[in-house]
Amino acid sequence: MVKLSKLIKGNKNKRKAVENISSEHDKKLDKTLKENLAAIKATVGNSYDIVIREINIGSNTSIKAAVLYTDGLVDKNIVNDFIMHTLMIDIREAKTGQVISNENELFALIKNSSLTSVEVNEVTTYKAIFEQLLSGDTIVLLDGFSKGFGIGSRGWQDRGVQEPSSQQVVRGPKDAFSETLKTNTALIRRRIKDPDLWMETQKIGKRTNTDVAIAYINGIVSEEIVKEVKQRLNKIDIDAILESGYIEELIQDETYTPFPVMYNSERPDSICAGLLEGKVAILVDGTPFVLLVPALFIDFFQSSEDYYQRSDISSAIRLLRFFCFFLALVTPSAYIALTTFHQEMIPTELLISIAAQREGVPFPALVEALIMEVTFEILREAGIRLPRAVGSAISIVGTLILGQAAVEAGIVSSTMVIVVSLTAISSFVSPTYNMAISVRMLRFIFIILAGTFGLFGIILGLIIMVLHLTSLRSFGIPYLSPMAPLSISDQKDALIRMPLWMQNRRPKLINQNDKQRANTEEPRPTR
Amino acid sequence: MKYKWITILFVFSMSIFLGGCWSSRELSDLAITTALGIDKHEEGFRVTAQVMNPGEIAGDQLSSRVPVSTYSENGKTIFEALRRLTQSTPRKLYLSHIRMVVFGQELAEAGLAPALDFISRDHEMRTDFSISVAKDMRAEDLLNVLTPLEKSPANKIVSSLRTSQNNWAPTKVVTLDELIATLSSKSKEPVLTGLYITGDPDTGSSLENVETIHPPTQLHVDNIGVFHNDQLVGWLNESESKGFNYITDNITNTVGWVECDKEGTVSLEITKTNTELSGYQEDKKPKIVIDVKSEANIAEISCTIDINDEKTIQDIEKKIEKKLVDIVNGSIEKAQELNSDIFGFGEVLGRFEPKRWQTWGKNWQEEFINLEIVVNTDMKIIRTGTTTDSFVNDIKKNKNEDE
Repeated sequence: MVKLSKLIKGNKNKRKAVENISSEHDKKLDKTLKENLAAIKATVGNSYDIVIREINIGSNTSIKAAVLYTDGLVDKNIVNDFIMHTLMIDIREAKTGQVISNENELFALIKNSSLTSVEVNEVTTYKAIFEQLLSGDTIVLLDGFSKGFGIGSRGWQDRGVQEPSSQQVVRGPKDAFSETLKTNTALIRRRIKDPDLWMETQKIGKRTNTDVAIAYINGIVSEEIVKEVKQRLNKIDIDAILESGYIEELIQDETYTPFPVMYNSERPDSICAGLLEGKVAILVDGTPFVLLVPALFIDFFQSSEDYYQRSDISSAIRLLRFFCFFLALVTPSAYIALTTFHQEMIPTELLISIAAQREGVPFPALVEALIMEVTFEILREAGIRLPRAVGSAISIVGTLILGQAAVEAGIVSSTMVIVVSLTAISSFVSPTYNMAISVRMLRFIFIILAGTFGLFGIILGLIIMVLHLTSLRSFGIPYLSPMAPLSISDQKDALIRMPLWMQNRRPKLINQNDKQRANTEEPRPTR
Repeated sequence: MKYKWITILFVFSMSIFLGGCWSSRELSDLAITTALGIDKHEEGFRVTAQVMNPGEIAGDQLSSRVPVSTYSENGKTIFEALRRLTQSTPRKLYLSHIRMVVFGQELAEAGLAPALDFISRDHEMRTDFSISVAKDMRAEDLLNVLTPLEKSPANKIVSSLRTSQNNWAPTKVVTLDELIATLSSKSKEPVLTGLYITGDPDTGSSLENVETIHPPTQLHVDNIGVFHNDQLVGWLNESESKGFNYITDNITNTVGWVECDKEGTVSLEITKTNTELSGYQEDKKPKIVIDVKSEANIAEISCTIDINDEKTIQDIEKKIEKKLVDIVNGSIEKAQELNSDIFGFGEVLGRFEPKRWQTWGKNWQEEFINLEIVVNTDMKIIRTGTTTDSFVNDIKKNKNEDE
């Protein structure tokens, strides 16, 4: 036992900080251009996508200069029109020769009068150069200066703003976040034109240097949550951040849980709605999925469309989602429990019909259910990963061969096929994918429990599940709120959605500060 | 440390599953029993179980096998007989889905009590099945009849018991709880509905029976059997059974008819009945007052009367009220004759006159026979159907003119 635990435990003390690659470039630039370029070339290993263009500035007493950029990451129009053109042609008109003796003046002249680009800043260290160069900025180095310019020229091939691939709506905005951080922040800013919408960026990932932005509305958000988010982000010490899932896994409250404790969405409207409720969004460069914390259990059952359709219909649909969550969780296990332990609970006619179908099925109900569920999971996984052209073939194989033929061959009963399909369809009702997949896993646990203990096992499982849910926290906020702890006033937007004019206050638990969000009276005809 | 605990928990949780499917039963291991017949036998009891063949009832491909089969076995006790049945049944009998239990007449006459204990004690049996008596025959023979329409004969019987109770009235669905409650009550005697078959029992048990449009052997629901303590003492006829249900307020819908002044009859559908029993003391003797309030619709007229006339309606109401009194009295007389207080008059007196009941109760047998009973009826005709004047009137008028 001790050995086993040691094996699982591993050796913790061996942990070290991730090697810090950038630290050696922390040194200052040299004075001569030649040395600087040589050092940069050596560091990037003469990579072909780092373009270095050496030029002469000024007509008579020319100064040597170099323009550096990363091919593919820059907007070449900016480089040509605002950097190359100004440096090589426009500057001739300025009297460079007169001021060359004064280092600072020349530098200021170029920076303030010549470079017509918007974002210009001075760079003095190699570290800063690489950071800007590899992010798509253009670097201008001058011979004889131990500093250069970093000129904003980012502009790479982008997917553009497209329709979301998940969380589709019938009514509502059809734009989705894309892979570029700037586009994503712009999408949020376009919706919330409020100076209190604050965005802070930092770079995470020693090698990827990924831009991670946190966005929140100052004044609404609880400062503790912002502090907590920043603290957790600062703790991350990793070489690469390739998707927001990395961030999620590294900062979430609880790893050992099947339930998602951070919300993600590629819909700007649902992220904005979260921000307006006082949540914090974490945007990661390179992924359209934006994280939103704190996340509550009920958030995963709410679709942004709930707020765009009539409240009564949305409420009914929300209840349906909860019902389907329950169905997806326990339908197969309830079927197993009833048919193998509690036959007396099934109405006689139904029992006879089920018994008739099970006649000749060689497996016990538990095995039968596991076979069908596993088959379905295989089909589902295959359907997602396969190239789109083959996808339809999978569904044909799945429905015809595995469904119909298996029943006809007497390997599974048709009731079981109905049960499995009902479960499958119910799990697709969930508006968020990550809640749907957690149910997918729990279902198997419930099947095993039902197969060994019957209904007793299912109830046991449900109790444990609810206990676990109540123990979860998302950035300090109880996961099951506003059900546990109960908040009557927050029920207006939980299981059901009340009309908007009734929702004048923000959720209690998240918001400590600016609670009043609206003051609209019930709409009535004025005459 | 955390991992250590997880490991320990994991090891312990594995031991939970060592119980492994305890007491689980696959559906294909069960013989779903729908009816149980219990007869008297020299050895003790003869138990007949009617077992479903699910594949024949709800399967995809129906063969020409019978939808149900019966297995019979003797035993000193019912439980022993049931377990002995496993020698002849391919699977273990599953009793939870029993729809009915039938006692043979012989057993009913000898006393139900010994047979009832098992039924009420066994944990597998639900208590929602109906209990009946096979009239003048053995329960075994009764359960050996195949029925058309309903593939399971037990279902047929229960549904015809229910429909006849709800639409016709002289039958009563008795469940186990009710039977035991009346059996153990001193002031009320139990009743059970009778069942019988017409035709040859042998043809009834073969598929032939359901292959013809008019089955030669048929199952019938009969009237109410009267018990004294746990012994069957006699049978009520149809009208007496109806009277019994009137008194016990067990009528949802029934039919009654009265003679017209001239030739012909008026038929009424009694749609709503409410009976209240009250008990008093009169001259130190107990007295029961029965108030029956009914609502009825005219269902059928085969004589020349004018139902637009309020007087005619009142006339019909009076006639049916009088008839109702006769029905109720007939039922009471029969019960007094059989010396069995099936209506629970004793209970009523116990409720109304608790102190005096203590003295009357000691000698209730005799008191019941000489009980003074007043029957008040109040019948209201609410609707007269979709036509006012019956076209029978026109036909008769034409006939008269022809002559």
